[in-house]
Amino acid sequence: MMTLIVPIAADKAEYIEKLPQPFRFDDRGTMYCVKAITGLPLKEISDIYFVILRAHDNRFMLSEQLAMQFRKQNLTNAHVTILDEPTTSQAETVTRAIELNSIKGTVFIKDADCYFTADEIMPQNGVAIYALENLPIVDPQHKSYVSVDDMFYVTNIIEKRVVSHFFSAGGYCFEDARVFCDYYNKLKDYAPLYLSHIIYAMLLDKQIFRPIEIDDYEDWGVTSSTR
Amino acid sequence: MKLDIQGHSGCEIAIVHEDNDLHIHKSTYDPAYVPRLINQANKQIAASKIAYQNIRVPKVFEVVQNEKDATIKMEYIYSKNFVEYFENAGFEQIKYLIGAIKYFIDLEIDASEMKTVPSCILTDKMADVARKVQNNVHLKNDKVAVDLVIQSQDIMNKVGDMVMPVGRCHGDLTFSNILFNGNNYYLIDFLDSFIESPLLDIVKIRQDTAYMWSTLMYNKPFDKVRLSIISSKIDSAIDEYFKENYEWYRRYYMPLQLMNFLRILQYAHEDRVISYLKNVISSQLSFINNQKPS
Repeated sequence: MMTLIVPIAADKAEYIEKLPQPFRFDDRGTMYCVKAITGLPLKEISDIYFVILRAHDNRFMLSEQLAMQFRKQNLTNAHVTILDEPTTSQAETVTRAIELNSIKGTVFIKDADCYFTADEIMPQNGVAIYALENLPIVDPQHKSYVSVDDMFYVTNIIEKRVVSHFFSAGGYCFEDARVFCDYYNKLKDYAPLYLSHIIYAMLLDKQIFRPIEIDDYEDWGVTSSTR
Repeated sequence: MKLDIQGHSGCEIAIVHEDNDLHIHKSTYDPAYVPRLINQANKQIAASKIAYQNIRVPKVFEVVQNEKDATIKMEYIYSKNFVEYFENAGFEQIKYLIGAIKYFIDLEIDASEMKTVPSCILTDKMADVARKVQNNVHLKNDKVAVDLVIQSQDIMNKVGDMVMPVGRCHGDLTFSNILFNGNNYYLIDFLDSFIESPLLDIVKIRQDTAYMWSTLMYNKPFDKVRLSIISSKIDSAIDEYFKENYEWYRRYYMPLQLMNFLRILQYAHEDRVISYLKNVISSQLSFINNQKPS
């Protein structure tokens, strides 16, 4: 079993009036950030934490809406973690969630602005990957790319540079939440810090990452209907 | 066909298409620099005859020396600079690079002899730095810079004679003097060093890995976080390795790194560079002053 964390605590000036995209509804009334996890093997998940900002919650009544979504999707193990202050990176949001909820063991981090299906997620370090050629529309600027060797070990992960036909599909598994936090604390003074930097630093220290093969990838960041 | 490009040393660098191949012509038209360039050529020729596994040295085809000018004609290497290389390198490539640096410096150590470097080498060099700082219009009225030089003089006076390997070194082993071609690393811009010791090569490589000097000088956009993570990884690997194996490294690395940055400071003229150097030197002085006497 592992813990699933969905960080949605980025703040932007436009969010003063505009609802952040992950909290909007699709045409079936499902919030995108909730839809983002529905393709995962949820039986392997002990708890799910949606991490949001208090300012967004106050402004858009998000925790109540999320609670309704959890009932609708029968997500009895889903919780909302509210952060008082905006974070500077996704890694910081995840670390705060781990600390606030005393999360131990394996954590799976899922981006809220995309969807994929995965049959199985092993409780080991891993990165969800998808082949560029499977996408009809590609926005290469907003992705990180993952190199994988012949035996399917991750050898490299790079922000915004196309070094591989596999890109990071927005799902990251860390075998040990404590190790993730240690790396975050080591790198937290760097900006902008991406999860790919944390993974790369771990790779340099000989921590093994395997690719997580996924299907049915949808990037809502480039789909006009969700803008 | 000749294409002029900017060099680091003040020499003129030209890429020349001749004999159906690309060559590099490195030239100086400053009579005072001619002996230095000839020394560099000789050092590069000697290094190119040694097998260093993944570390290579461009072949020198011809050295043309006149009274007022000189040109080294050498092999052109198709390569990437360190930033482009690091932006793309997987963890295993960084591991090979760390191994290659350690291997190269260990070969230098093997080819050198343990010798006593008299204390006056350091104190004379320090006096020279103090003079040059006083003559630098950007520094002579900078109280912080002048105070750092005074504190450094005090440190250098206490170092005494140094026993270390002397005999072989590149002389300017920074990332900007390494051309990256796959897992082969070509060393360029050999220089004469005030102490011909492999320790000075460790000092220069750590100028980049510990203090990110060449990165500071890089003008194009790049992933600074990734470069910092890689530099830090290489730095701790090098530092741990030499710290574990060599007493002279443990004793003399820090004063020589301090001297290295003072020698950069003496010629500095850009505000951002001076500010950075003062910060580095100040941190080095604090480190040395807080070290327990061995």
